[in-house]
Amino acid sequence: MSTVNWLIAALSVYVIGAFVSLCFSRREQVSVNIAGVSGMIGGALGIAAVAPVLVSNETAFALFQTPFAFAPYSIRIDGLAAFMVCVISLLVIVTSLYSFAYVREYKGKGAGSMGFFMNLFIASMIALVTADNAFFFLVFFEMMSLASYFLVLTEQDENATNAGLLYFFIAHAGSVLIMIAFFIFYCYAGSFEFSAFRQTELSPALSFTVFILAFLGFGAKAGMIPLHGWLPKAHPAAPSHASALMSGVMVKIGIFGIIKVGIDLLGAENLWFGVIVLAFGAVSSVLGVLYALAEHDIKRLLAYHTVENVGIIMMGVGVGMIGIAVKNPVLAVVGLLGGLYHLLNHAVFKGLLFLGAGSIMYRLHTKDMDKMGGLSKLMPYTALTFLIGTMAISALPPFNGFVSEWFTYQSLFGLSQHGNIVLKIAGPAAIIMLALTGALAALCFVKVYGISFGGAPRSEVAANAREVPLPMVVAMALLAILCVLLGIVASVVTPIIAGISTALSGAESFALAENGIVVSDSAPYTALSMPMITIMLIAFIAVPFAYYAMTKGHRLADRAKGNPWACGYAYESDMAISAGGFTRPLRIMFKPLYTIRKTFDPVPLGQKAINGAIKGATEAEPFWEEKVTMPIARFIPWIADRIRWLQGGDFRVYCLYFVIALVALLAVAATM
Amino acid sequence: MENLALLTIILPFVGAVWVGLVKNESLFPKLAVVFAALATVGALCVAQQWHSAAVAVLHYPLIRFGNTEIFGVTFDAVSTLIGFAVVGLGLLIVLYSNGYLTVKNKEHAHAPLPRFYAFLLVFIGAMAGVVYSSTLLGQLLFFEITGACSWALISYYQTPKAQSSAMKALIITHIGAIGLYLAAAFLFSKAGTFEITALERLDPASKTVVLFGVLFAAWGKSAQFPMQIWLPNAMEAPTPVSAYLHAASMVKVGVYIFARAVMSAGEVPEIVGEVGLIMAMLTLVYGFVMYLPQTDLKRLLAYSTITQLAYIFIGLSLFALGSKLALVAAVAYIFNHAFAKSLFFLVAGSLAYATGTRSMPRLQGVIQKMPLVGVGFGIAALAIAGVPPFNGFFSKFPLFAAGFELGKSQGWITAMMIIALMESVATFVWLLYKFGQCVLGKPSEDVVNAQPLTFSMNLVLVILMVMSVCSAFIAAYWLETPWLTQL
Amino acid sequence: MIHLPAEVATSGGMFFLGIVQALILLLLAPLFSGISRFIRARIQSRRGAGILQDYRDIAKLMTRQNILPDNAGLVSKVMPYVLIGSVSVVAMSLPLFVLASPFGAGGDLITAIYLFALFRFFFSIAGLDSNSTFSGLGASREVTLGVLAEPILMLSLLVIALIAGSTNFGVMSAVLGTQTWSYPVATAVALIAAAFAVFIEMGKIPFDLAEAEQELQEGPLTEYSGPALALIKIGLSLKSMVVVAIVAAVLLPFGAAREYSLSAVVFGAVFFFLKLLIIYILACVFENTLARTRFMMAGHLTVVGFGISILAFMFYVIGM
Repeated sequence: MSTVNWLIAALSVYVIGAFVSLCFSRREQVSVNIAGVSGMIGGALGIAAVAPVLVSNETAFALFQTPFAFAPYSIRIDGLAAFMVCVISLLVIVTSLYSFAYVREYKGKGAGSMGFFMNLFIASMIALVTADNAFFFLVFFEMMSLASYFLVLTEQDENATNAGLLYFFIAHAGSVLIMIAFFIFYCYAGSFEFSAFRQTELSPALSFTVFILAFLGFGAKAGMIPLHGWLPKAHPAAPSHASALMSGVMVKIGIFGIIKVGIDLLGAENLWFGVIVLAFGAVSSVLGVLYALAEHDIKRLLAYHTVENVGIIMMGVGVGMIGIAVKNPVLAVVGLLGGLYHLLNHAVFKGLLFLGAGSIMYRLHTKDMDKMGGLSKLMPYTALTFLIGTMAISALPPFNGFVSEWFTYQSLFGLSQHGNIVLKIAGPAAIIMLALTGALAALCFVKVYGISFGGAPRSEVAANAREVPLPMVVAMALLAILCVLLGIVASVVTPIIAGISTALSGAESFALAENGIVVSDSAPYTALSMPMITIMLIAFIAVPFAYYAMTKGHRLADRAKGNPWACGYAYESDMAISAGGFTRPLRIMFKPLYTIRKTFDPVPLGQKAINGAIKGATEAEPFWEEKVTMPIARFIPWIADRIRWLQGGDFRVYCLYFVIALVALLAVAATM
Repeated sequence: MENLALLTIILPFVGAVWVGLVKNESLFPKLAVVFAALATVGALCVAQQWHSAAVAVLHYPLIRFGNTEIFGVTFDAVSTLIGFAVVGLGLLIVLYSNGYLTVKNKEHAHAPLPRFYAFLLVFIGAMAGVVYSSTLLGQLLFFEITGACSWALISYYQTPKAQSSAMKALIITHIGAIGLYLAAAFLFSKAGTFEITALERLDPASKTVVLFGVLFAAWGKSAQFPMQIWLPNAMEAPTPVSAYLHAASMVKVGVYIFARAVMSAGEVPEIVGEVGLIMAMLTLVYGFVMYLPQTDLKRLLAYSTITQLAYIFIGLSLFALGSKLALVAAVAYIFNHAFAKSLFFLVAGSLAYATGTRSMPRLQGVIQKMPLVGVGFGIAALAIAGVPPFNGFFSKFPLFAAGFELGKSQGWITAMMIIALMESVATFVWLLYKFGQCVLGKPSEDVVNAQPLTFSMNLVLVILMVMSVCSAFIAAYWLETPWLTQL
Repeated sequence: MIHLPAEVATSGGMFFLGIVQALILLLLAPLFSGISRFIRARIQSRRGAGILQDYRDIAKLMTRQNILPDNAGLVSKVMPYVLIGSVSVVAMSLPLFVLASPFGAGGDLITAIYLFALFRFFFSIAGLDSNSTFSGLGASREVTLGVLAEPILMLSLLVIALIAGSTNFGVMSAVLGTQTWSYPVATAVALIAAAFAVFIEMGKIPFDLAEAEQELQEGPLTEYSGPALALIKIGLSLKSMVVVAIVAAVLLPFGAAREYSLSAVVFGAVFFFLKLLIIYILACVFENTLARTRFMMAGHLTVVGFGISILAFMFYVIGM
């Protein structure tokens, strides 16, 4: 079966699964199971569809006629689209598995319709990345936002409603900007096909306009600063497996769009494209993690970290675009490699973290970290997989986050070496910001793991927690294993992704990986061997452990009992540090960056503007009625009143009128 | 085939007389449904016959004196599509009214009267007449009939407010009709016939006069600036009337006659398009600003109708300025908007029937108690706002595409399009906000005490919801069949 | 085919050398912490324990019972081993005895910094895990200090990397050791900045805030005892040594072997330990001339270091 057929099969499974699960929405467990099974099958079919494209790098095409004369439905599965479908399908399989048990949390609160919206959400994402026609691209883009809007609304409280409104507003405004960009293309290309867009030559000014519009539109979807306001509200409101998908893949659609328009359609010939992406990426990463530090709601924190990681991905993509513009193939390939690899990695570890947060909420029914604690003993598997997730997101070796950040660093280093003065300064600046981001992320996740899982339970609900059901554990374990694998076998993954970035940048391919080692240049100056680092880490951990084990005979057995030392006072649980307290010194040191957030918050301004507009409109509404219609309506009777005297009632006066009229007419006839 | 069309037009008139004479309360609503159904079948057959004839335009003159055609019928893609829409929606509305206009109605408990169904059937017939008519005189005749019916239907409840609103509607649309009288007379004086296709042969100056006359009448009937004030006040009518008149048919008379005129005019003078576009933009912005203070759901929908019609005028003006895509977009918009807005009005009516109020602050958490109505609210709001897969997007998109294409050579059009896009996003946000307020959350007191809807009402809502998804594809298929020669 | 530069490519012999150098450093870690104690004692006009005291302490601690609070989990138990493991991998890949990285594919600047981050991560998490007041505060200070210090280290070493054209320690040391310095002022200033960063990472006063004995009862070390405490002490000392080794071996690569004969390597080893000792003693003496500072003032100090490294970068950009 050809690639396109597998893809259509996958889409059909999702859509059919959605509608069938909706039919059973009264019997919630059945509905959930159907949605979950169709999700898993669809995901498997999706991976089967794109695996050949990823391996052989051949593009698949198809074209279908539709009732719309201006827009046939064309499908194009190139390397980038295949990669995106792969990432989406991977995460869908895991979250569908997770949902079998997790959705019990929402029994009676809309669990029956959740599967419907989930499956349509996934189907529209997959259709979106493979569409080759601007019209259908926008249709699926909006449908994706629509389906996820309903997922955000699941709880149906005021919080969720406001979050959904802000989210859909920004998503819709973004898609309108993208639509304008596509319209500009359409004017000069004559059709809505992306293949026509690719051939069109736009003037530099127009090309820049199109890029900025698309950048803002897709950037709003990706959640980059300053268009990120919806992320910390919307992702926590959705159910955790939906949040995992939204953070893990939906924001990546934004990045996909920037790459598609900037590189694929426009050709990235303007240096400023890449510089803008790099700059916004760097700022997003630092501010994103800084704002994450201030949170003690675990899901809001993870949402801000998505902003941070989107920033890191954008940095890699920005370097890639700069490389294409200055015609440096190494920069182009390695930059995009770093960006795309991090896209994949982030989907995996952010999905894992959200599922972990969901597991905590499943048992504790709270998102507040200050009420958790001590869960590493009570929920051991969740704790272990969550620990792996935090280590991956902090980019610690030997996990996957480290490899993609390594590539990003190396591409920025390459930028600093091969460039004009602007790039010579921009490169190290971005490296420092990335380093700062890494350190802050490590801080934040020490806090998250330490406060949530470490220490002692801080509340009743935490003390009564127990491990989550098997499907949820298996789902999280799968992602954790992937975190480890994608790190260790980096030398196998790298050539695949490098193939995609080579195809996108139009460069000649060069070897980037061999025998477990990955390098970052065609003339390599450094190397990285994840398998060896992992082995040596394990070996050097074993050495002191051996020493410890050897001397075991000389001492008493290990003991884990008693309270921590409290200077002689009776120890109490709340003597331990809280989430807010842990990050307080840092927040004070970085205070100016936090106050920016308050000064530039558009919501109060927007509120005032709306209220003013409503007041103005209320006063203006009767205007037309009172000042135009009514005066005219009153004028007519007034005129009538004025000329009433003509009809006095005296019959003789009427005869006089006849005579006057007759005389006048005769006079006119006589003069003619 | 022309006999079939005549039948479709005349049958409802006959039905009206019959229904008006029947006194049995349980009989005349069902009788009205039968006649409306027959008319719908007629419209469907007309459409199918035209499609199988495989010719772009079929024209049959019915009354002529020598060379002067007084009355005739024209069948092309546009008239068959819109004809089906208005007559079919008429049937749905009559069906809905069977359930709505009873003493069980919490908002307006009122026993049904035969004159309602009679006037409604006359209206259906008049609508079919306007759509199929090939002469300005024929359009004028049915234009005035619809005006009279609307007066009767708006004042149905016979309260002082309803009566004054009905009078206002009648007078303002009649003032608009002056434009159509002028246009018909001028056309006759220049071309010797009333046929709309005779416009093509006129010199540009005369064309401009006739087109402006038609445009003025269209503004009056479609509640555009400066004659928009009658529509919000016409919400005193029973909701099925609002759904039919003020969403699906009467307001569509205006855009339809303008569409016919520019379609048949050949080379349209630029000034017509420019004036049409600017006035439509003014109406658009004004209509949107007037959303903001509304707490009555029906008044909000009235202003929404005004803005949506402004979009259609934008599309037709863009066609007048030279874009073929804009015409397809505008006609599809007429078709799509009819279904979506009817759905929205009937949702409002269902809420009024069940809870007794249509004030939005008092309606919350509808989805919990009345899931079908809640879903209908959502679908209608999304369709009007232009979110795929609902029908609104599929007509807004080509409209904007056409605008940007024209804007390539004339920058001011691009500026207009950007303003329109901003308004579109603003409408979207506002409607979504209202959706969140009314449909989600905990049910308010009025909603908790809601009574269930009748089967006919539920059926109509479901049909309209399905059409809100499918109508875009139907319209696209119908308007773009390959053998159809472009105008 | 990938052709790695000579300083990065690893052969079996070099790999063995790397393991040997890591183990040697591991064994010498208590000696250096003993030297630090000794110098502090003498400057404070005490006799102090002998240099080898820490070996005796460790031997004794290994016979003590390993006690943890009851809510300590897996992370607390694993922490001491991860500390030693992560720093040892860095030690293995530094060009200490020869002008090349024995484990080239792990000798990248970025890899080293993130291995140190691994160290810091587990150190702090264990602090929170035991739920002790002091260790929690210590953990908070440790990660905050990491945020302040890492950019300085990164930027100063980045300037050297830009000058050398590679982020690999082997290449950096080879370029600085064999070629004339093409950016002399930038290199010198970067060296100063790196030394500053290293001083912070060594945990010397005023930057021993995480384990501030007077304030925090040794911070994250509070709840450890017996063998775990011994291993942590080794780990902390090893980290200081390795961080100094970065300066000694990479930035001041004089005396390291250029060919790989046994005599050259031994000679290089001797030279290295000499450099290490001198710098270490200098750092300890310098430490004891300073006073403790308030934690919130630490930011003011680190900003100075960051300023110096920016200065180094500016010199590089200008071309000096």
